[in-house]
Amino acid sequence: MRIASQCSTTHVVTGHSARMRAVFDLVRIVSQSDSNVIITGESGTGKEVIARLLHDQGPRSRQPFVAVSCALFSETLIETELFGHERGAFTGAVKDKPGRFEMAHGGTLFLDDIDDVPLSMQVKLLRALQNRQVERVGGVRTIPVDVRIIAGAKHDVPQMVAAGRFREDLYFRLNVLPIALPPLRERREDLPLLVEHFLTRFAKERAVPVPELSPAVQYAFSRYHWPGNVRELENLCERIVQTCGCGTTRFGCLSESVLFGAANSRIAGAAPPVFGPPRAVSLDDRLREVESGLIRWALTVTGGNKSKAAELLNIKRSTLADRIARCGISPAAVTSEGDHEHAESSTSVSATTPASAMQAFMDTPR
Amino acid sequence: MVPLRERVEAVIDRIRPMMQADGGDIELVEVHGNSARVRLTGMCAGCPFAHLTIHTGLERALREQIEDFGELHVL
Repeated sequence: MRIASQCSTTHVVTGHSARMRAVFDLVRIVSQSDSNVIITGESGTGKEVIARLLHDQGPRSRQPFVAVSCALFSETLIETELFGHERGAFTGAVKDKPGRFEMAHGGTLFLDDIDDVPLSMQVKLLRALQNRQVERVGGVRTIPVDVRIIAGAKHDVPQMVAAGRFREDLYFRLNVLPIALPPLRERREDLPLLVEHFLTRFAKERAVPVPELSPAVQYAFSRYHWPGNVRELENLCERIVQTCGCGTTRFGCLSESVLFGAANSRIAGAAPPVFGPPRAVSLDDRLREVESGLIRWALTVTGGNKSKAAELLNIKRSTLADRIARCGISPAAVTSEGDHEHAESSTSVSATTPASAMQAFMDTPR
Repeated sequence: MVPLRERVEAVIDRIRPMMQADGGDIELVEVHGNSARVRLTGMCAGCPFAHLTIHTGLERALREQIEDFGELHVL
C-alpha cells in the first residue's frame, strides 16, 4: 500500500529522445492546470514519477501527494480505501477512517492502475470526480474534497471502453489531459544516459566505483526488448553493482532473461558486438580475485571456522591462514558477513554463494 | 532428425558472439543421452556469475528448443 510516494523528483532523468522531451514539455504545461490527467504507459515506464513531477511543479506542491494503486485492493476494500468509512460501518470498523480522497485534500491524488478498478466501483469514482465530494462507507454526510486527480493506466483504456470493461463516461472525465509514456524499447537512445544514472546512483549508495560495461553487455542492452521498462533497467543496474566485483560488467553479470532475450532478439539495426582489440588482463589479479572470492565463501558458509573452511577448500589450515593474510581478508569482516543480521552490509559479493546471492536478487522487492 | 549435438550447438551459437566479445567462450564438451556438458573458457572461467547465468539461462533455452532435454552440466 502506498501512501507517500517512494519516488523523488529531484533526480528525474529524462533522456534525449524526442518522445521524452515532448513528454516533459507537456508536463511543464499540464502541471500548472487543475484538470484531470491520465498517464498511460506500460508497467515500469515511470507513471508515478511523472505524476509526482506534475504535483511538485504545480501550485499544489506544498499540499499532500497521495498515491494509491487501485490494483491492490479487492472490490469492497477499494471503496473504504478511497472514500474512508465511519465507525461501525462493518465488523472491525472501530473508528472513523478518512479515505485517500480526504487525505489528498488540497493536493493531488494519484490513482494508479485505474484500469483495474471494477466496473461497479467506476460509477462511484465517477460520481466523486464529478461532484468533487465523497461519502464515507456507512456515512450519510457528504464531504467536499478539493483534489487534483491524476490517473495511471497500463492498458489501452479506449480499447477497454470498446470491450465494455471500462466506463466511457469515466474515461472521458479522466481523459482531459492525456500523457502517453513510451516504452523503453521505443526510446533506446536514452539507454546510455539511464544506465549511467542508475549505475552511478547504486555505486554511490554502496560506496563502490561505477562499473564499466563490456561491449557484450552494451550490445545486449541495445537488443533486449525491456518488457519491464525503466524499472527493469533500474533493477538490473542495482544487480550489476551488487555482483560486479572486478570493475567491468561482463555478460555473466546480466540476468539470463536479458542475455537470452538479447540473443533471440530480431531487432533490426542493432549494432553487432564490438570486437575491439583484446584488452590486457592481469592474470595475477584475476587469480587473486578468484582466490579471495572462494576463501570468503568458505569462511562464510562455515561461519568463520578456519579449520572447516580449509577442509572445504582442500588446503591445510596453515596455508589458509597465509592466504587470508595475503588476500587482505579481515576475519572480522568475514564473521560479520556470515551473520545474517549483517548480511546486507556486506560489500563483497563473493561472500555469499552464487546460488544464494542469485536467490537474493530474485527476491528483491520492486 | 537433426542430431542432439547439432541442436545444442545451434542454441549455444546464439549467445557465443556475446561471450566472445567479452573475451570468453563456451565449448560443448560432450553430449550424453539427453544431457550436455559445456565448459566456459577465457574471461568467463572462474566467474561465478557467468557460470550461474549460463547454467540457468542456457538450460532453460535448451529445454525450450529441445523436447525432453535432460540436464546441462557447466564445467
